[in-house]
Amino acid sequence: MMPLLQKVYDFVDERIDLKTLEAKMMKEPIKGGSRWAYVFGSVLLFIFIMQAVTGVLLMFYYIPSADHAYASTQFIIHEVDYGWFILSYHFWGSSAMVVMVFAHMSQVFLWGAYKSPREMIWLVGLALFGIVMAFGFTGYLLPWDQRAYWATTVGVEIMDKTPIVGDFMARFLKGGPTPGQMTLSRFFVIHVMVLPGALMGLAGLHLFLFRSAGPAGPFRGTPEELKAKTDFFFPRQVWKDIVAMAAVFLTISSLALIEPVVLLEEAKPDPGDYHPEPEWYFLFLFQLLRWKIFSGELGQFLGATAIPAAFMLLLAALPFIDRGPERNIFKRPIALLSWTVVMIGILVLTVSAIINREFLD
Amino acid sequence: MASVQPKIKSKVRCVDGEIGEIVHVIADPISLEVSHIVVRANGTQRQVPVATIAAVRDDSVELLCNAAQVSGFPEHRPEDFLTSKQVEIPHLENKVHVEPGDLLVPFPVLEKSCARRNFFAGFIHVIGALIGLPLVWPVLRFIMAPMYAPYDNRWLKIGNVSKIKTEDVGVQFIFKKSFKDSVLQREEDKNHWVVKATPETLKKVYPQGDISFTDEKGDVIWVNKQTVPYVAFAGKCPHLGCGFKWRTHKKLGQVFLCPCHLSIYDNSGKVLDGPAPRPLDVLPIKVSATGEIEIIDVEYKSGKKELVRIA
Repeated sequence: MMPLLQKVYDFVDERIDLKTLEAKMMKEPIKGGSRWAYVFGSVLLFIFIMQAVTGVLLMFYYIPSADHAYASTQFIIHEVDYGWFILSYHFWGSSAMVVMVFAHMSQVFLWGAYKSPREMIWLVGLALFGIVMAFGFTGYLLPWDQRAYWATTVGVEIMDKTPIVGDFMARFLKGGPTPGQMTLSRFFVIHVMVLPGALMGLAGLHLFLFRSAGPAGPFRGTPEELKAKTDFFFPRQVWKDIVAMAAVFLTISSLALIEPVVLLEEAKPDPGDYHPEPEWYFLFLFQLLRWKIFSGELGQFLGATAIPAAFMLLLAALPFIDRGPERNIFKRPIALLSWTVVMIGILVLTVSAIINREFLD
Repeated sequence: MASVQPKIKSKVRCVDGEIGEIVHVIADPISLEVSHIVVRANGTQRQVPVATIAAVRDDSVELLCNAAQVSGFPEHRPEDFLTSKQVEIPHLENKVHVEPGDLLVPFPVLEKSCARRNFFAGFIHVIGALIGLPLVWPVLRFIMAPMYAPYDNRWLKIGNVSKIKTEDVGVQFIFKKSFKDSVLQREEDKNHWVVKATPETLKKVYPQGDISFTDEKGDVIWVNKQTVPYVAFAGKCPHLGCGFKWRTHKKLGQVFLCPCHLSIYDNSGKVLDGPAPRPLDVLPIKVSATGEIEIIDVEYKSGKKELVRIA
């Protein structure tokens, strides 16, 4: 290290014990060694940081008013230097975030890493999953185009169907009986203040709990084998993490370049030729609501609220139901089967929502 | 003087011979230096001040005093001390190289006999609640301010019946609605559908006879007569609030179709297929002598079997 840098390091170390901090952050032994399968959490953190950076940049020009939101977003796309790129990166970044959340949750599920003593990490992780979905939902209203307006209208109406609290929740989000300026203001402040705060706090807690409970490690191997392969978080795992981050960065950037964001017409209560549809990661839920059994008031509540809520509750209860110490996914047939069914279900519903588009014109 | 670093289990020698070994090291929490060593000798533990130490060697410590003097030092009382693991004293463990569990610091006198610990804990919660609780109602009201806006009962001109060429066919009327949205004066494109109904269709629209519309207080503001052939349907799908269209369906012929969740209605608004819980919403309508259509932009909660007016 350069003498000056060393001096700065020593100065800080003397005051706040940097060496201990460094040891705690970097010298965490990873049972069974670093792996590519462990990159998802770090990649999520990276995507979030990039979303925060591009999000702050977008706020330099965006105006959260029903009269100006659309025009200011168009201004970002067409007038501001590289505005189209920043906005498109933010847009594709949100999709990448959802994909990574699914990958991360799947990995934890398949590795049986939610089991004791890591239940609390799993629970906080589920809350983070909810926050990521809420980010998506509040984010796409902001450009105030037709897609934004209709996805939000329908989304809020779905929430309205929750018994007892639904009406209040929907009015709270809309800031009135019908969507308008108050809706935009509320979604804006939730998207740029409330959710980032919640996410940072919970992600910090998630990491703290992870470091306290320790990583789960591979589900195979004797203690001797695991010990023989053990390495520290730095450098091998950090290296794998940064390679994965670079790959994700390249993917998002390429998508932003190849398929930059194009706004539809400005939002209005007349959909015109536009067929309202939510963002792709909500399509499966959207398609579910097209089924006959989810028609009518009760059906709607079941499809839109009860089933997703029950599924989330089941996930939350998972580490307390599934208490067997076995972590090998190939020896947990029910877990493997359920995961496959859920994934195929989501895939089939999403694809059928896409196929359905053709029959609408 | 450089910090003394006695080791646990070191033999302790007095001027007149070995007397025992070190079992704990006590540090001063202010200076972060060793103040005493705890020596176990003859079954008792004595606190020996660091000033008594003549020299610290690899596996032993030599004292300046004799064995009799050591017996004169106060007996170690574990209840008067905490291990360095139980308290947060920055830098202590870097300065004194003893296992955290063996490194002791004095239990502060004020803490040891804190008779009102529970009282303080309760008091802290009460004060916190006194700050928080008075905010609940104002904050709730602040957030709820626009949530229950009064109904808009203005009559709005949406177009002329001359636009309708055929009976029993859905015709879209797009109109500009200007309204105050918080501090903004806004104008929005809205759309409703008007059907010039044949008597049979009209019967299906008004199965219970005339439809009356009410304000918040329940007072009737308008009655749609079942004899008036023009029927206005709100442009918002009663399922989940999407915008529906007039389309030709392969089997059902000409219908109102909502592209969101595929609800299908006939020209009287009756549900033919899909998840919609009720027929299309009929709006208050007035047609002037010159054919100008006026409506009240009544809005009902979507997804309900019954009509719940929200705007």
